[in-house]
Amino acid sequence: MLSALRRSLAARIARWVKTRQGDDHPPLELLARRIYILPTRAGAAFGMLLFLMLLAGLNYANSLALFLTFLLGGFAIVGMHLTHRNLLGLRVIAIATTDGFSGESGRVIVTIANAADSARPLITAQLAGERPARLDIAAGTMPRFEMTLPLRSRGLIPIGRIRIATRYPFGLFEAWTWLHTSAAIAAYPAPRGRLDPPAEARAGGEAQALHRAGDDELSALRPFRDGDSPRQIAWRAYARGGDLLVKEYESPAGQFFVFDLAHVSNLATEAALEQLALWVVGAHARGERFGLQLGSNAIAPADGLEQRDRCLRALALYGTTERNA
Amino acid sequence: MIAASLRGSEPDADRVAALAPIVVLVIGALLQAGSIPHWCVGVVLVASLWRIGVVAGRLPVSSRARGVRIGFAIAALLSMLAVFASFRTLNGLAAGSALLSIMGALKLLETRTARDERVVIGVALFLLLAACLSNQTLLRTPLYLVHAWLACAALALVTLRTPGFGARAALGVAGRALLFATPIALVFFLFFPRVTGQFWALPTNATATTGLGEEMAPGTIDRLIENYEPAFRVRFLTAPPPAAERYWRGPVLTQFDGLTWRRAPGTAYREPPTALLGDPVRQQITLEPSNRRWWFALESVRASPRRDVFMTQDRQLVSADPINEAVSYEVDSHLRLQTLGELSPLARRVATRLPAERNPRTLAFARELREQYADDAAFADAMLDYFRRHGFEYSLEPPRTSIDSVDDFLFGSKLGFCGHFASAFATVMRAGGVPARIVTGYLGGEWNPIGGYLIVRHSDAHAWTEVWLAGRGWVRIDPTAVVEPGRLDRGLIDLLPDSVSAPTRFLHRSRWLSKWVLTWDGVNHWWRKRVLEFDLRQQLALLERLGLGDAGWRGLGILLAAGFAMWMLVIAFSLRHLVVRTKPDRLAQLWREFCTTAATLAPARAPAEAPLAFAIRLTVARPDLAALIRAVTEQYAAIRYGRPCADNLAAAARLRELEIAVRSFARSVAPR
Repeated sequence: MLSALRRSLAARIARWVKTRQGDDHPPLELLARRIYILPTRAGAAFGMLLFLMLLAGLNYANSLALFLTFLLGGFAIVGMHLTHRNLLGLRVIAIATTDGFSGESGRVIVTIANAADSARPLITAQLAGERPARLDIAAGTMPRFEMTLPLRSRGLIPIGRIRIATRYPFGLFEAWTWLHTSAAIAAYPAPRGRLDPPAEARAGGEAQALHRAGDDELSALRPFRDGDSPRQIAWRAYARGGDLLVKEYESPAGQFFVFDLAHVSNLATEAALEQLALWVVGAHARGERFGLQLGSNAIAPADGLEQRDRCLRALALYGTTERNA
Repeated sequence: MIAASLRGSEPDADRVAALAPIVVLVIGALLQAGSIPHWCVGVVLVASLWRIGVVAGRLPVSSRARGVRIGFAIAALLSMLAVFASFRTLNGLAAGSALLSIMGALKLLETRTARDERVVIGVALFLLLAACLSNQTLLRTPLYLVHAWLACAALALVTLRTPGFGARAALGVAGRALLFATPIALVFFLFFPRVTGQFWALPTNATATTGLGEEMAPGTIDRLIENYEPAFRVRFLTAPPPAAERYWRGPVLTQFDGLTWRRAPGTAYREPPTALLGDPVRQQITLEPSNRRWWFALESVRASPRRDVFMTQDRQLVSADPINEAVSYEVDSHLRLQTLGELSPLARRVATRLPAERNPRTLAFARELREQYADDAAFADAMLDYFRRHGFEYSLEPPRTSIDSVDDFLFGSKLGFCGHFASAFATVMRAGGVPARIVTGYLGGEWNPIGGYLIVRHSDAHAWTEVWLAGRGWVRIDPTAVVEPGRLDRGLIDLLPDSVSAPTRFLHRSRWLSKWVLTWDGVNHWWRKRVLEFDLRQQLALLERLGLGDAGWRGLGILLAAGFAMWMLVIAFSLRHLVVRTKPDRLAQLWREFCTTAATLAPARAPAEAPLAFAIRLTVARPDLAALIRAVTEQYAAIRYGRPCADNLAAAARLRELEIAVRSFARSVAPR
């Protein structure tokens, strides 16, 4: 009962904050208007202690105790200003996300710049319901907060609001701000299934196969990107002291896969999507060209990490209302 | 296992954070070491050592097992019992702080989280409060401030736990916060209305009583003369009386058993009314706590200075409760007075009562003397003359006396201290039928030219007599002054024979040392009067001086609010200056410029659209500008999201390149 009341109050406050601030589009500066501050539990206890000290000082008409009380009270007030100041003027440069498979986790990366010439220690960033990430931001730096968001089901998971907070320096007050972003993480279907790609998925012209001899031919080297398979790395070139390069193979010209939801129509929707995800991951790992057909939504065949992510994202969004997001 | 993990992984920052509350608690307990039993301090020290061992990874942290928790509960109960056993109460400042220090020590043993550490710091602050309540000397005050500073720094350490943020940085930030807080504290100290009266009273622990008591036997006053501590300080608000008239009246003793004079608990008779003569001498007196009920003033006081102090029939000021903290009051005294009536027969009988079987030789001697002098005054003069003529000497080391103390003195040693002379004189007077009584108090005092006040020390303790003379009333007669006239205008210390060991005499003899002592006393007195005793009365006086004389409480409120608001503005302003205002982001400006220009070519960039995605869209719309679009977007993305530049120069160069690209893009778009 009480917790329900509390929750509804919290939701109401959250709505109010949202309407007050609107959506955020980084880069933005944390100005006083959007920084909230309240005493922490320790701060409330400290206040209680000060009240008792005040009573004792007045009761005994003890000047020293009274001065001590006022000094510590002033100290708390100055601390409050310091806490507020620790957040004030920080710049949120970007909020980026990386997608992930359902059952694993996606990442939310908040880049924050401190242009001031004083450090901003003890800054935390937190997604609703998750553990906060903590950073001490040195003067003139632009570090990144990395938070993980567990992806419990397939679909587009909105990251909700991000709470940037600080209790520096004495832990008596907490200043915080909310970042409202429309960013969302696509939770890909978990790649699993027992079927091989059906023969009719293989498509493309034998006619153009004349252009290239051989199956997998090394076509180019390109710089390493996140998500590339280690097997594709040109280790020999790396060993010679070069950069980390990736061998790009081109499958026989014109040959590609088109994975169609119709191929797995005998499976339930989620299982079918998981099967397709497995095929997409497999095809990418082998460096093949592949496309996707999800009902009316078609993705033209291509290869590479971008194609893989595009396909997985389409799978993640399949059947959700935000298909075109 | 836990210890191992502590040893293995606890970084230095955590270790410093764990040590800080220990330091603060130990200092808090040491500040109270004077008023709590030594074993309490011992418990705190042992707990601290244990905790240090835990932090260092040498000792296991206490487990959360049920047995351990019960153990803690039992330890808490036992310590409560132990405190109760040594104080016979748990209520009271000393007992409370003893209990608090032990609880803090126990908390230290089961500290696991930052919250526990904050609790320990809170306990230390309470101990500091207790120290402030129990000892407010000037010398101690800096210690208190340092302790407050350490506690604040400990709060920062416990909160931050960052490698590189050590004790020094914490002291820095806490010190700065306290400095900024000082004006707030001063404004509140001066203008926060001091409510008078107690909300609740804790029994103060019985400290040793000092000064004059309820009775006087030979040797009682001798014991006080080596006590160089001040009994009270006096500022004369009118012209000070001559040195020989500075008799500070204390307990009046009327009952004698042959050895000891005692104060009567009450009187069954009324004394006749008295006329006070001459102009009053107004004094402002600050009494040191003595745990006695005597309030001193010059003879003879006109009226009681306070409602809770009453004036007895024999014009002594007595309060119902012992004086256990310094008090300050103003009284009027008249140096001369005259009775308007005659002593009642009952009063006369009480004031001439003597034990019949004690001091037989004295009684016989008195009767003999009385036969020669019928007049009371002449009889008294004759007795004084006897002292002068028969080789009586003033001595600070009189021989011990038997139960017939007056006989021993008058006909034996003839060597005595003020008490002996007074006792003998009063006995002879009473034996001769003249009402007489002993007055104890102080005589003289040392003038402090720095502070402009008189210091009366316990070593100035004195005893004299009063005899009733018809038509004049009670007349002061000081037999000691007859024998040793120097006692009147010099301090007792100057009269001490060299053989007497008075450690403080050395202080007194060395001129610059004594000057230093007087200066220090003056500073202390100022501290006491101006700071420690700052109250509503002084606040209102301050308002008057500020020109807000009749504003009263409202004036205090206005000044409090105004001072506070002003300093808050200063803080907000000065802190704002500490935050470097960021220049308008040139990068964002350029990018906005580019997007605005580009919006004429293709649908405007959606807020969430990535720069490179936008670039692709633009390129599709205007393939001829592909190179420029690419230059702008890639440079923008590189600056915004790429690796930061090593130095400002390189960053500026990159920004400049972007600017050139954006400008040329704008130029290429414009002609069409």
